Amino acid sequence: MDSSHLTNPEGLQTASTLNDRLLQVENLITGYKLSRSKILSLHNDINTSIGKGELIALLGPNGAGKSTLLKSLTAIIPVLDGNIYYNGKNLSNLSRKEVARLVAVVLTDKIDDKYLTAYDIVGTGRYPYGSFTGKLTSSDKLIIEKSFKDVGASELKNRYFHSLSDGEKQKVLLARAIAQDTPIILLDEPTAYIDSPGKVIIMNLLNDLVLKQNKSILLTTHDTELALNYATRLWLLGKENYFEDGVPVEMIKSGLINNLFDREGVVFNKRNRRFEKV
Amino acid sequence: MSKKHTKLIFVVLPLLIVFLFLINLWYGSVVISWIDVWDALMLNVNANQASKIIILQYRLPQAITAMSVGIGLSISGLLLQTTFSNPLAGPSVLGISAGASLGVAIMVLLGGVVGASFSGTLLILGDMAIVLAAFAGALAVLLIIIFVSGRVGNAVTILIIGIMIGYLVSAIVGTMQFFSSSEDLHAFVLWGLGSFSKTSIVQSIWIFITTILVLIVTMWFVKPLNALLLGRQYAVSSGFNVKFLQSIFILISGFLIALGTAFTGPIAFIGLAVPHIARTVFRTSNHRILLPAVVLIGAALTLGCNFISKLPGYDASLPINAVTSIVGAPIVIWVIIKGRRMSNG
Repeated sequence: MDSSHLTNPEGLQTASTLNDRLLQVENLITGYKLSRSKILSLHNDINTSIGKGELIALLGPNGAGKSTLLKSLTAIIPVLDGNIYYNGKNLSNLSRKEVARLVAVVLTDKIDDKYLTAYDIVGTGRYPYGSFTGKLTSSDKLIIEKSFKDVGASELKNRYFHSLSDGEKQKVLLARAIAQDTPIILLDEPTAYIDSPGKVIIMNLLNDLVLKQNKSILLTTHDTELALNYATRLWLLGKENYFEDGVPVEMIKSGLINNLFDREGVVFNKRNRRFEKV
Repeated sequence: MSKKHTKLIFVVLPLLIVFLFLINLWYGSVVISWIDVWDALMLNVNANQASKIIILQYRLPQAITAMSVGIGLSISGLLLQTTFSNPLAGPSVLGISAGASLGVAIMVLLGGVVGASFSGTLLILGDMAIVLAAFAGALAVLLIIIFVSGRVGNAVTILIIGIMIGYLVSAIVGTMQFFSSSEDLHAFVLWGLGSFSKTSIVQSIWIFITTILVLIVTMWFVKPLNALLLGRQYAVSSGFNVKFLQSIFILISGFLIALGTAFTGPIAFIGLAVPHIARTVFRTSNHRILLPAVVLIGAALTLGCNFISKLPGYDASLPINAVTSIVGAPIVIWVIIKGRRMSNG
């Protein structure tokens, strides 16, 4: 288990030789400071990277620390130790505004407000840029329109966000991330609470962003089977410091997927890439 | 809400404010003709001296103060509701108005207990002493809240601590009331009922200018306020320092509450209600519209309430604090029920 953090050599090669490393993670320790003396560390020593045009699925059972890792990468929550580099610059030396221009997020946080329109929400994606007064410039407006179009949700623009279905909300939040115009987008469970066709639509949208706009995407998901169809790389996160980084084909072959979700009576069928009853 | 409607309301509201402002100058225990009101406002030398004094020294400062305090409390209510993402947040919940009461209670009630020398000082300083005491009390609680918010990041925790400080301070005030003489008590209760008529024309203009300056500062924070509506983490991901902003918003709203309460006594309901009215009327939460909206609605509502408080036509008007609640509470209930139906339908 101790050597498990050593990345799959093949996976690392894909990242370093074919792509520029947009994000580099060194000896990262994620977790929470419970009090001044008490620390709850979830993962010790994560070493990995995100390259241009990659779609990485972060898989793992509930409570493994997927969201924590995701939020640590964007400085939403502080890391316990280690370094995160964006384009070679240390995250801790970047201003919040600079970070917001490098990475956009889609979170699972509920947005309760009743009178925000979808347009208002996507508009906040433009906040890391431009003026202080909250007035959107004409170029902001063009980018917002295009972002709505990219996710196929132009007809939702003037709807109140809280009146949308979960699938529509997810599209709007994705449009917000696109409007933020960052090379990297991180998404926390973008396919949760969405019906099956909706999940495929979201994954197709993300795939399009990677292929057509050369974005890099990292997403957490519990839809493992679906994610395997799209991901160019997998990060597996388990309890007790387990972290594994590699390409899907290799990880399926070596049985890592099966081991990660070790439940009695269920196995991962390597051929049709599905979980099945024993 | 279509853009056309929004623009229309933004034209109608200022007209309504002008109308209510003039009504406030014209109506009172003494009837003054519109011509005399005009002459007084234009500082016409030939104007009726009596009505000139009534308008310029009493009704004008009262109207300006009412309007300014309405604006200030409404801004603070909006800031607090967004900062704490809690629709029940308002000037009274952070304990800042309670702090002002404590300041005044110490001055008025304890002054009587300590002895005649203190009451003597009070006589010399007069109303200004009460203003300073209220301001000091409000700022003291504000400083505690800011100190706490610097250490505790969680907005809900700060809110709860604010409410607890409010209870604590109210209990102290209550105890002091129990031990004070009936005359002092009467003075304190009068202050607590609130009044816009305690300010001089110079004071009222200063309150107005200060409020507008704070409004201009607040306008620079429209973006982070909107980002906060999406929640803390989204606000951080949009590039904002949420903890710092939280302190700024508490400071701004606390200052406005302290300013208003010091000169007029605690004014119930305005700060809580106006943001709700604004959201329902304009059907938006975007602060770019909401901020000017609460300013205009707050001004109109307090001017309206001040007019109503003078309606009985006696020498003394109704306590403004009672009027704002009696007029306002039904409006809020109506607005919230209507808003619900509209958003469900």
